[in-house]
Amino acid sequence: MSQPAIEATDLHFAYGDHEAVAGVSFAVAPGEILGFLGPNGAGKSTTIKMLTGQLRPRSGTVTVLGMDMATASAQIHGRMGVCFEEKNLYNNMSARENLDFFAELFGLSIDADEHLRRVGLGDRADDRVSGFSKGMKQRMMMARALLNDPDVLFLDEPTDGLDPVSAASIRGIIRQEAARGAAVLLTTHDMHEADELSDRVAFINEGRILALDKPEELKLAHGQRSVKVRRRAGEGVDEVIISLDGHGSSAQLADLMDDRLMSIHTEEATLEDVFITFAGRGLGG
Amino acid sequence: MHLRVVWAFLKKDTKAFRRDRFFVVLTFVGLLFYIGIFQVIPDSVDEIVELGVSGDIGVLLEGASFDDSGGLSVARFGSEGALVEAVEAGEVMAGLAFPDGFVAAVGAGDPVSVKVITGQGLPVELRGALTSAVREIAFGVSGQVLPVAQLAAEDVVLGVDRAGDQVSMRERMRPLFAFLVLMVEAIALGSLVAEELQQKTVQAVLVTPARMRDFLASKAVFGTLLAFLEALIILVALGALSAEPLLVLAVTLLGAAMVTGFALVAGSLGRDFITVLFWSMLFMIPLIVPAGALMFPGQAAGWIRAMPSYPLAKVIFETTALGAGWAEAAGSIVALGAWCVAALAFGSWVLRRRMVTQ
Repeated sequence: MSQPAIEATDLHFAYGDHEAVAGVSFAVAPGEILGFLGPNGAGKSTTIKMLTGQLRPRSGTVTVLGMDMATASAQIHGRMGVCFEEKNLYNNMSARENLDFFAELFGLSIDADEHLRRVGLGDRADDRVSGFSKGMKQRMMMARALLNDPDVLFLDEPTDGLDPVSAASIRGIIRQEAARGAAVLLTTHDMHEADELSDRVAFINEGRILALDKPEELKLAHGQRSVKVRRRAGEGVDEVIISLDGHGSSAQLADLMDDRLMSIHTEEATLEDVFITFAGRGLGG
Repeated sequence: MHLRVVWAFLKKDTKAFRRDRFFVVLTFVGLLFYIGIFQVIPDSVDEIVELGVSGDIGVLLEGASFDDSGGLSVARFGSEGALVEAVEAGEVMAGLAFPDGFVAAVGAGDPVSVKVITGQGLPVELRGALTSAVREIAFGVSGQVLPVAQLAAEDVVLGVDRAGDQVSMRERMRPLFAFLVLMVEAIALGSLVAEELQQKTVQAVLVTPARMRDFLASKAVFGTLLAFLEALIILVALGALSAEPLLVLAVTLLGAAMVTGFALVAGSLGRDFITVLFWSMLFMIPLIVPAGALMFPGQAAGWIRAMPSYPLAKVIFETTALGAGWAEAAGSIVALGAWCVAALAFGSWVLRRRMVTQ
């Protein structure tokens, strides 16, 4: 890996006696999308707050773009974009005014309308954000996160509340940003999204990273490959699941290939299945 | 501190305030209301004591030669009953009911009783003065001298002698109106801060090059300017800048900064308008007491003089009503400055803690 854009080293943080983050370490390279997956309360938000300089770690270090967050947060923030899960926009201001205000904080002069057009809000630039739907606010959040063409992007549930078309559009923008060279840390509950977007995924549970690898590698290493065969059985339908990892699976499949065969589906392990094998529970709980 | 960032915050907050119809209306209506009330309040003080008398008083009135020029106006009533009714109705402040044959009885040295009739609210010292006056009248009527030698007394009035030119209620109320305006603007700032915290926009701001100190400074400057400008309008409208305008402006600016400090606390502790109002009132009601105390003659109690807002109210009152200048106000300015720094430091500390623990 080239010089990491984001590097977390042995991060610890506790709320009172509860250790929310217990020794998290990972790195994200420029142009890489790292999916950060875990159930509620796993320590994702606390980790992101430390990575973005909102919380000071009890111990450990955060290095972003080669700079220590503890000593150079202002410089780092100037090259960073954050899309919060909370829709923390100025509701009594218009979409354009929101972007113009944040651009001023960055010391930038921007074409707000262009940024809004990119997220599909070009025709709502003068409307107050208070009148926006949840999905529109989410797109505004993305537009704001991208204002300064950041080198590092922290995206917390960036497609939350979006319809499938808008979500696909936002995923396209995330890919474009990564292609431009931005390091992206993506937090999501949507396994398919993580699978589709992430170059690597990290599973976090109870404040610890359980696994960190490419989605395909994780699924191959920890999931079960199988096929589901459906055949006619008199008036009903018979379903047989054949593991592809076991011996004799080819012969088993060949035996089932007769005129009663209705369909064959691959039963590839999902990231959720892999997560369960690590954490003993699903991402929803 | 980044001035560019602070300027961006100031523009944004001004916009947000302008769009908050509730506070704009409250400010506008409040200003009109205070100015209206000020104009209605009498601008002079009636120093004449209206006294009613009944009974055998013909000789007495001739001898005592009461008239309006001495600060005492005497109204005669035909009977004690009519006098009592007049006191009850507030037509006269007090009444002396002389019995029939008063003059003759006093002249003969016979015991006689005079009723001193007062309403509920008459100060006890005035009641005593009336009783003494009755005794003196009796001595005069009987032709005897007082049992003690007449003392020579010299009146010494420190400062300007306001006898016959007392400070009117209107003038006494100027500090109160100024403080009421400061209070409304403090609530407006508190609401703005609470909204920023509740909507978590502050989190978004703090992951940009803007620093926490920029945010705190912008809120302090915005709150101070907002409160100061509103107070300035009311001070001009109330004619408070005719004497020592720079002095009045200086203390008003310090006062605006002080209430801003308390507003930051209220905004940090509040979750919505109602809770911000609650916390604001908790701070502001005690702070308004000194301005209220100055509406009445006499020296304020020690605890009132120890209040942070006392120097502000005192300087505005003494400058606008008593003609005080920088020399007289110096001590108050130092005290107010110290309170101002303390309030802003405390408010910033509370807000900073709230932002960190969000």
